[in-house]
Formats: sequence, C-alpha cells, structure tokens
Amino acid sequence: MEDPVLLILSTTRTSPGAVDYAIDLAKREGRELIVLFIIETDVVNEVFETFSDIGFIGDKPSSRLTEAMMREFRQRGYAELKEVEERARKKGVKTHSIIEEGDFIKKALWVMEKYHVHRAVAIKKRRSAIASYFVKSQVLKLKELAPCHVEIFEEEKEK
Amino acid sequence: MAVVIDRRPLWIIILTKGFRPLFFIILTILFWYMMTSTPPQGLTKEGLRAMAIFSVTLLLWVSHALPLAITSIFAMIAVPLAGVLDTREAYSLFGNEAVFFILGAFILAAAVMHSGLSSRIAFRILERFGRTPGRLLLTIFLLAAFLSFFMSEHAVAAMLFPIALEIAKALDLKPARSNYGKLLFLSLAWGCIIGGVATFLGGARVPLASGILKELTGEGIDFLGYTIAVIPTVAVMLFVGFYTLKRIFPIDVESTEEATMVLSRKNRNMGKMGYGEYITGLTLLITVLMWIWMGKRLGLANIALGSVVVLFLFRVVRWKDVEEYVNWGIILMYGGAITLGTALERSGAVEWMVKSSLGHMTIGAWSLIALLSLLSLLLTEGMSNAAVIAVLMPLAVGLAKEFQVDLKAVTYAIAVPAGLAFSLPMATPANAIVVSSGYLKVKDMIKAGVLVSLSAWVVFNFMARVYWPFIGIGAG
Repeated sequence: MEDPVLLILSTTRTSPGAVDYAIDLAKREGRELIVLFIIETDVVNEVFETFSDIGFIGDKPSSRLTEAMMREFRQRGYAELKEVEERARKKGVKTHSIIEEGDFIKKALWVMEKYHVHRAVAIKKRRSAIASYFVKSQVLKLKELAPCHVEIFEEEKEK
Repeated sequence: MAVVIDRRPLWIIILTKGFRPLFFIILTILFWYMMTSTPPQGLTKEGLRAMAIFSVTLLLWVSHALPLAITSIFAMIAVPLAGVLDTREAYSLFGNEAVFFILGAFILAAAVMHSGLSSRIAFRILERFGRTPGRLLLTIFLLAAFLSFFMSEHAVAAMLFPIALEIAKALDLKPARSNYGKLLFLSLAWGCIIGGVATFLGGARVPLASGILKELTGEGIDFLGYTIAVIPTVAVMLFVGFYTLKRIFPIDVESTEEATMVLSRKNRNMGKMGYGEYITGLTLLITVLMWIWMGKRLGLANIALGSVVVLFLFRVVRWKDVEEYVNWGIILMYGGAITLGTALERSGAVEWMVKSSLGHMTIGAWSLIALLSLLSLLLTEGMSNAAVIAVLMPLAVGLAKEFQVDLKAVTYAIAVPAGLAFSLPMATPANAIVVSSGYLKVKDMIKAGVLVSLSAWVVFNFMARVYWPFIGIGAG
C-alpha cells in the first residue's frame, strides 16, 4: 500500500477548496486519504480561564460550559469528516478518518509519523499582515517540522 | 527531529520569544523609577508611590499578564510596603461592605444555579414564547437580560450558552455562515451585557463603584435609586441592540419548530419544581425586596449574607456547592481595587492628577459626564469591567469634587458604560464565549458592536441630561 495523503482540518480551519484538492490528489496518485480533524483544546481552555479569571465564575459552571463546547466541536468534527468521506467516496477514494483533541501541531505531527504520510494538505487561517509578522502561523510551523511535504491552503473569503 | 530556522529579523524574534520577561523587566524598571523619583511640586512622596503602584496595576490589568485577582494582591501588598497606608488600614479595606455584598450576591446566584431554578425559568420561557424565528431570538435576548437583573451576567451567559448550542444544532445552523447563528449568539451575549447593568446584581461593577465612592467620600448608592436611574437606558438599549442585530444580520431561517421540540423535551425532563427551587426562589425574591425597601437601614451586605444563612438553614445548598460555583478570587480582586482607590485618594495623588491635568480648565457637569462615560466605554473594550471601575473611579471622584459635580452622577457615568462592552471578545466573558463557539467571527461582533457602543454612549448621556434631573440627580 502506498503512503497516504493527509488532510488536516480543525475547529478553526476549514476550506472546501483544500478538501477537493486533497481528494483529487489522493485519486490522482492512487493513495488512501487520511482525514484528520483536530479539536484545538486551547480555544476551550481560554474560555474556561476567561470565565474563571475575569468573570469569577466557579469551576462547575465553567466546566459545564467547556464540556458543552467540546461536545459541539466533536459533533462538528464528525459532521465534517462524514462530509469529506462522502465526497471522497463519490470520487472513488478510500478514506480513513481520525478525530483528535489537543495541540494542532503535535497532533498533526503524530499522525504524519504514525501513518508515514506521503503528502499533507493543511489550511491556514486568514490573518492580518501585522498579526502574521509577529505571531507565526501554526500551519507554517507545522510545514517546517513535518517529515513530509505540506501544501498550504488559505481559508476562503466569506461570500 | 527537524531543525527549524526562524528567518524573521532578530528584533522580532527577541520580541516574540522574550515578550513576557521583557514586559516584566520594563514594568519593574518603571516601578522602581517612579518609586525613587523626586515628587513633582504639589505631590507628596506617598502620592507618587501610590501613582507608581496604580500605573503598574493598570498595565497588568490591561495586559492580563497576571490573573486579575493576583494583580490586586500586588496592589494590596505594595500599598503598605510603600508606606502609602499602614498595613492595618490597607488590609482592613478587604472588609469593605461592598466586597461582602458581592460575595453574598454570588453565593445567592450559586444557589439559584445549583437548585436548577435558573435553567427551569430559561427552558419554560423559551418554550412558551420562542415559537417563531424572530420571537425565539427576542426571547433569548430578553431572557438573558432579565436573568442578568438578578444574577451575574457571566453566570447567565455560562448557563444559557449550552442551550443556545442545542438550538443551533436543532436548526442545523452552519457555523460562521448562518445569519441566524450569529443572531442567536449575539442576542445571548448582548442580552446579558445590557441586562447586567440594570441592577447591583448583574455584575460586581456597581457594588465596587459604590464601595469605592463610600470609602472616598462617605456617600453611597442605594439599590433602588441606581436601578431607577439606569432602567430607561437599559430599556432603550435593549430595543436598539435587538433592532441593530436584526438589521445587520437578517433572519435566514423559516421555522424554529425543531428547536421548540428540543426545548419542550428539555422542559419535560426537568420534572416538577422541587423544594430547593421553591426555597431558593422565595429567598431571592425576599432578598431583592429587602434590598429595595430596607437596603439603606439594614445594609446591603447584611441582607445578602443573611439570605445566605437562610439558604443553609433550609439545607438548600451545602458549602461544597457554593465552592463549586463561586471563585474566591473575587474577594481579592475587589478588596485590592478598593485599597488601591483609597490609597490614591488618601495620599493626595488623585487631587494632584486632577489639578495638574484638568485643574486649569473649566468643565461643565454634563461635559464631564460625557467625557467620563466615553472613557469608561472605550476602556471596557480592552480590559475587565471591574478594572475599569478601579482605575477610573478615584479619578472621577476627584474631578467631581474639583468641578462640584454630583458624585452619584459621575459614579453612574463610570459604572454603567463599564458594563457595556459590545465590540470585542476580550472585553467580557459573554463576548469571548460566543466568538469561541465559531458561529460568528470577531469581525461580525465588531461590525455590530461599534454601532451599538456608540448608541449606548448617546442614549446614556441623553438620559443623564434629560431624565436624571427628574429623579433628583443633578449636575451640580
């Protein structure tokens, strides 16, 4: 079996263009498509801290809140994976879906190494030029650390 | 392991990697410099030191480099160590009535949430009134506002958020794309924000402002008087907020039948109202009535804490429950803020700041109110509501004394706009949570928020100018 193509999606990164590209790439090269959805826990942790440190809300309501968010993100992840699987199936591409919670870069690297990924497709969030200059994009960091070639798509503009 | 070479300019790399240590080094140098400098003419040595502590605290509150409560501890220990107030006096300010009122109100809110009463009210009202897309939004908006009249707006946001998520799921709203999703979550956040300024209970801002005012001048604000002064602004802002949202994000769903089904199921699952809910509801009702009618005579904090004792007498809550719902950092935050305000006033720093900045000018009462409310409204978008009060109140009291303006009027001009943060996620937890949900983006919040913030400033000042004189709040 050929090394697979990896498509990396997350709670804050999505792009129909990238999904289509990854499916076509897997089809063209006759490889399996691994679809990874990462639930970025730092977003949830930030919310917990905001309610705790600024709102002075106790642990129980803050925890319930973050649990509700995690549940939502998981459901969103499964829905998105299902959609990608369906699109890939129509094009005759075999898929394997993975959902992971945690740090974006660590989780993506872990999957790349575990599955000996041949090529990965990742989505970069749209950010202002100033923000990009001072805070390096997670996806760009991933590209530098990845053991395989990573193709980067930018989030599409809202219509 | 791959070796990564960062190719950005060296100064950018140093700035990004070493920002936090660099920030603290600069802060330490600034603090040391101010503490050891010769005071300018008219300012005492203690005054300069109080200003040094104030500056560092302000920067820490704005930057969130430390948790808010920890910054307050810094202020608390720095004041006696710098010789601005003696240790006994500094620590005695923790025992301020406002701090204990806030504590009592938070414990009462904890009991309301723990008993399930707040969720029952929410589900029942939403099921009863939210039958069409427009009415469901309006119900969420008004429900969030109404609940925030009686408990912390942050607690209300935390409670209603999972319900909003279930509604979004039931209606199959697409995150960041559906207008109805944006409306749903912004209605929740803004309802909490607007409702939160209506009474002493919506947040700890007003009790804190009242506490600082009392500590600095001996004058206080009463529970009913505040609500009477503010409620017309709240009513107009509820209308403006909802109208603006609907104009900017037109409703794009036809029916809310699926959501109504989910709400009905949730409502049924709640079962019959229990003993705990009855006792908690009754206690809260009696407490509010006592705050209104006997607040001045018995003291707001005494009533709040008395009600807490009643809840324990009836075994409605246990201490373990209270601990799960209340963050004790609140005592440190508000105690420290009152200490800082007192230190600035007693050391003469406030008087010096007022005289050296605006003392040579003649400012009319209404212009001062407009200026302070604008400042409060702008600052609250970047820092915590309570921090805005702590920073502006001592200065506002000094200005009110200098220009002989009604102390209540300037207190309201700080306390009310400090709660009206509509535009940015970092401004208040309700905004942060709805943006994190993914159903709306920061730019959506800014687009609608800037307009509503501006309206809030106009409405507040209009009410101050036109309505307040009728209820005895004058300019001078």
